[in-house]
Amino acid sequence: MSDNPKNKSTNTTHYAVEINNLVKTYSSSFKRKKFKAVDNVSLNISPGEVYGLIGPNGSGKSTTMKALLGLISPTSGHCKIFGCDSKRIDARSEIGFLPENPYFYKHQTAAETLKFYGKLCGIKSKALNERVDELLELVSLNHARNRRLAGYSKGMLQRVGLAQALIQNPQLVILDEPTAGVDPIGSREIRDLIFKLKEDGVTIFLCSHLLEQVQEVCDRVGIIFEGTLVNEGTLEQLTAIQNQQEIIIENADQGLLESISEIIQKHSSSGAKLISSNKPKSSLETLFINTAKSRQK
Amino acid sequence: MATHNAQLELKKTSFISLNRIAVIAGHTFTQLVRMKVFYFLVAFVILIWATKQIIFPNETGGSGSPEQELRLLKSTGFAAMNIFSLLLALASTALLIPKDIEDRTLYTILCKPVPRLDYLLGKLAGVLLLILVSLFVMDLILSLFLHQKLSGMIAIHTEQLAARGIPKEAIQEYLARYEAHGVTANIHYATLTIFLKAMVIASIALLISTFSSSTLFTIIATLVILIIGLIVADAREYVINMAAIGQESKLVSTALAISILFPDLQFLSIEDGVIDGRTVPFSIMRQILIIALLYVATYVVLSWFAFRKKEF
Repeated sequence: MSDNPKNKSTNTTHYAVEINNLVKTYSSSFKRKKFKAVDNVSLNISPGEVYGLIGPNGSGKSTTMKALLGLISPTSGHCKIFGCDSKRIDARSEIGFLPENPYFYKHQTAAETLKFYGKLCGIKSKALNERVDELLELVSLNHARNRRLAGYSKGMLQRVGLAQALIQNPQLVILDEPTAGVDPIGSREIRDLIFKLKEDGVTIFLCSHLLEQVQEVCDRVGIIFEGTLVNEGTLEQLTAIQNQQEIIIENADQGLLESISEIIQKHSSSGAKLISSNKPKSSLETLFINTAKSRQK
Repeated sequence: MATHNAQLELKKTSFISLNRIAVIAGHTFTQLVRMKVFYFLVAFVILIWATKQIIFPNETGGSGSPEQELRLLKSTGFAAMNIFSLLLALASTALLIPKDIEDRTLYTILCKPVPRLDYLLGKLAGVLLLILVSLFVMDLILSLFLHQKLSGMIAIHTEQLAARGIPKEAIQEYLARYEAHGVTANIHYATLTIFLKAMVIASIALLISTFSSSTLFTIIATLVILIIGLIVADAREYVINMAAIGQESKLVSTALAISILFPDLQFLSIEDGVIDGRTVPFSIMRQILIIALLYVATYVVLSWFAFRKKEF
């Protein structure tokens, strides 16, 4: 598309996402009891960053996202997208959103669905046709482009959802459980896509229960619990055990390992000790993908 | 952490855009068409064809009124058009927004630069486009069958009257009264008023669906308003007559004041006059058009007020 996001920058600075002291309170209809879904949440996401918001069910992740998308009004506090109040329509011109378990109009095909969303974003027909082709290729749905969505699997719908989120080449992509219902290969493709978007300078705000996935793709992570952001930082800050060191050696024989162990023992007076020495394990996901690929060949 | 080296110039989104409304309307129209709602047109053709076959005894030389068959055809056609268009207006409008909310497709639409007014107007326009196309086709079918029926009647009666030795001029004069029941602009005017009523009902259903959480409630509430709309003029007349003879009750007067909130659907109906073969003056049509558009505009504005701050 002609409007490459990288060409849109100016010399002033803003966060891609700015959430300040966000509070959202719901009151029940009859009892007039107040329930605080989000309590004083503040977080900033810089342009080009991948931010993961994690927390258990009902912790306030979706409410935070909805406030950011202008679907609900904050009780207090505010949300901004590239410096623009998220309640304004203009803020949505640079947002791509994939809801959890998205449903689309079943009477449409994948190509029609993408064209519909593209037209809503004001993309003209020639550019739109090219963008639709590009996105269907990107999410590997070209073979099913003219099939109605009623016959799509959950994983295929998720991929259509991702494609519609990217239709206008947004600079901020908000993904709510992007790999829910997707098989491991699809999940890997979505993860690769997130890396590609990051390379293109797109900011990503991700909510996921899959902590391993968040750990793999996110630059920074926020942990939300009972509506409060209880911890936030880079993965290095949050997950590194500061007084331990990991060394991975390739082709080490038994003698070398014993020597290393002896060296560590020599330094035991300074508190150093060998905790474990194992062969690193491949993940079950890698095993599955390699098996699937070898079967396909 | 990435540096804050960029700010995007966010595209300005206009408050209302005909293009976006047209996209949503076109999509809604396609959605309803693919739900196979046009199948009812087949039922309409069968109904009108069956009514056309009815021949009263007077037709074959009796002394009754031959226009009765044309009246029957018109009244059946208009009744079916009213029922089909009102059902479409009610069910389609009541169903669409709650379904979008339930399926969360609304999230993906409102997360694009789409003002909520555009969404509402697009949905309403899509339903109205479907009703307009349906009524246009039904009007064509009714006109065609009416024309066939009238032509057949004229041919039979001309032959019968000529056989009795009645002069040509007298026959022409006699048959002219049938032609008032044929395909005239009045038939199309009546179709237009049926469309205007459907517009009003669709906009009421739209208003209710913006704050109701259930499709069933929307349908029932709109039906209640529809019934009130059909009797409100009679009720108003009754109260005025009671007041004239000094039997005014505060409760009834209050109810009458509240009734202003409901559309007077009787005022929008001209079908009875058209069935009787009366001519509809253009001034009446203009009044009906203005009143109907005012109703629709009022309900759309109220819908927008209810929907613009709605939380999902």
